[in-house]
Amino acid sequence: MNVPDRVEQVVREALSLAAPDIGRVEGGTRLASELGLDSAQVMDMIMEIEDRLDISIPVASIAGARTLDELCDTVRRVVSET
Amino acid sequence: MSLFDKFAPLAELRAALAARGRVPSVATPMDAVQSATAAIIDGRKVLLAGTNNYLGLTFAPETRAAAIKAIEQLGTGTTGSRMASGNYAGHRQLERAFADAFGWPAAIVFSTGYQANLGAISALAGAGEYLLVDADAHASIHDACRLSNATTIRFRHNDPENLSRRLERLGEDARRTLVVVESLYSVLGDRAPLREFVEVKEKYGAMIIVDEAHSFGIYGPRGLGICAELGLLDRVDFIVGTFSKSLGGVGGFCVSRHPELELLRLASRPYIFTASPPPPVIAATQAALGRLLAGDDLRERLWRHIHRFHAAVKQLGYRTGSSDPGPVTALVFGEREQAMRAWQGLLDAGIYTNLMVPPSTPAGLNIVRISLSAAHSDEDIGRMIEVLAGLAAQLKPAAA
Repeated sequence: MNVPDRVEQVVREALSLAAPDIGRVEGGTRLASELGLDSAQVMDMIMEIEDRLDISIPVASIAGARTLDELCDTVRRVVSET
Repeated sequence: MSLFDKFAPLAELRAALAARGRVPSVATPMDAVQSATAAIIDGRKVLLAGTNNYLGLTFAPETRAAAIKAIEQLGTGTTGSRMASGNYAGHRQLERAFADAFGWPAAIVFSTGYQANLGAISALAGAGEYLLVDADAHASIHDACRLSNATTIRFRHNDPENLSRRLERLGEDARRTLVVVESLYSVLGDRAPLREFVEVKEKYGAMIIVDEAHSFGIYGPRGLGICAELGLLDRVDFIVGTFSKSLGGVGGFCVSRHPELELLRLASRPYIFTASPPPPVIAATQAALGRLLAGDDLRERLWRHIHRFHAAVKQLGYRTGSSDPGPVTALVFGEREQAMRAWQGLLDAGIYTNLMVPPSTPAGLNIVRISLSAAHSDEDIGRMIEVLAGLAAQLKPAAA
């Protein structure tokens, strides 16, 4: 089993804050269609990630991130470019 | 699989909202509108407390007369863009009037308020530049960001410190950044900390555009808005506004202390590729603007209603979206069902308001939004308070 890196930890923490009732989420789970997160919840989650990692995530970069894993990849990319 | 599959959650939401009562709470059909504060809904006369007709100018004698005269002289529409056959004297006079009112050199009129944000923001920030946008900004602002080629980053609602951290991270690029905020947020009725935002943008050399859609006509000297009220007109860069609220028409404007705003006419796609506002709309807006600037009587009347209503609502135990009294009062409920009951209860008592539920509301709140107008009578306000008092006993709003 892979050990979650700092980014994944932060993304999962942000997800649990945005949607407290959601239990364990697999990396391939779709945030909107499977977890039912609306756009406002996703944006809350993104801003929480930004604050915790001290990065700014362009809105356009999130558009393609539908799953938890894809969101983590997007955040890692932003972190590496910062 | 169908293109329509993705709309299934919206269909469920519509069905849930339509399940109660005979009249839908979304896109409520109005059979007739009789005045700035009265309409016929489902065959019954209702008091309108869910419009943006803050000064009641839709039925003012001077605005109606101006619109009728313009139709007779100039026809019903321009059938052309401002860049082609739709650049009438009235459009240019109205722009001059807005610029003069603010004491600024430049103003542009757009065909809708939505397009004012779309046209100004998308043209001001382009490729290689940045838009830092309040997370709770209106859809027209977020859509403007999508139309722009700039990099868009959101910051936490009404949080100057959060904005500051994002500008700090941009380094030198902060100087190529447009900060976008509203002065008064229409869902909860909360005001932005504009002075603090201006201080932050100046610290980093950014520019700021302030949407005064819900505050123009109501706040500040001559109703010029919250930037003017706070004495910030020499420090904010751009102000956008709409004709469809205090001015009682349809359209929008952008004014600036930078004369370069004029260049947007050549770069703003929502300005260039659409028909210009029709003559009656321009004429009515010019008359409404004159009325709005001429005296404080309508504003004073509206503010008297606001203070009375806000105090009563708090006394009844309702939770509101903002502690600041304003033209919009958002009654906040913990559950959608409670908000729906409140909305239906108000309508059953003959008062039309707005029901707003997630995902179109901030923080997942369920809201009944009540908007006041200078055209309301003291008796109208009393009736609203009376009905809310009756509903409070049923809804136990303090526990919401």
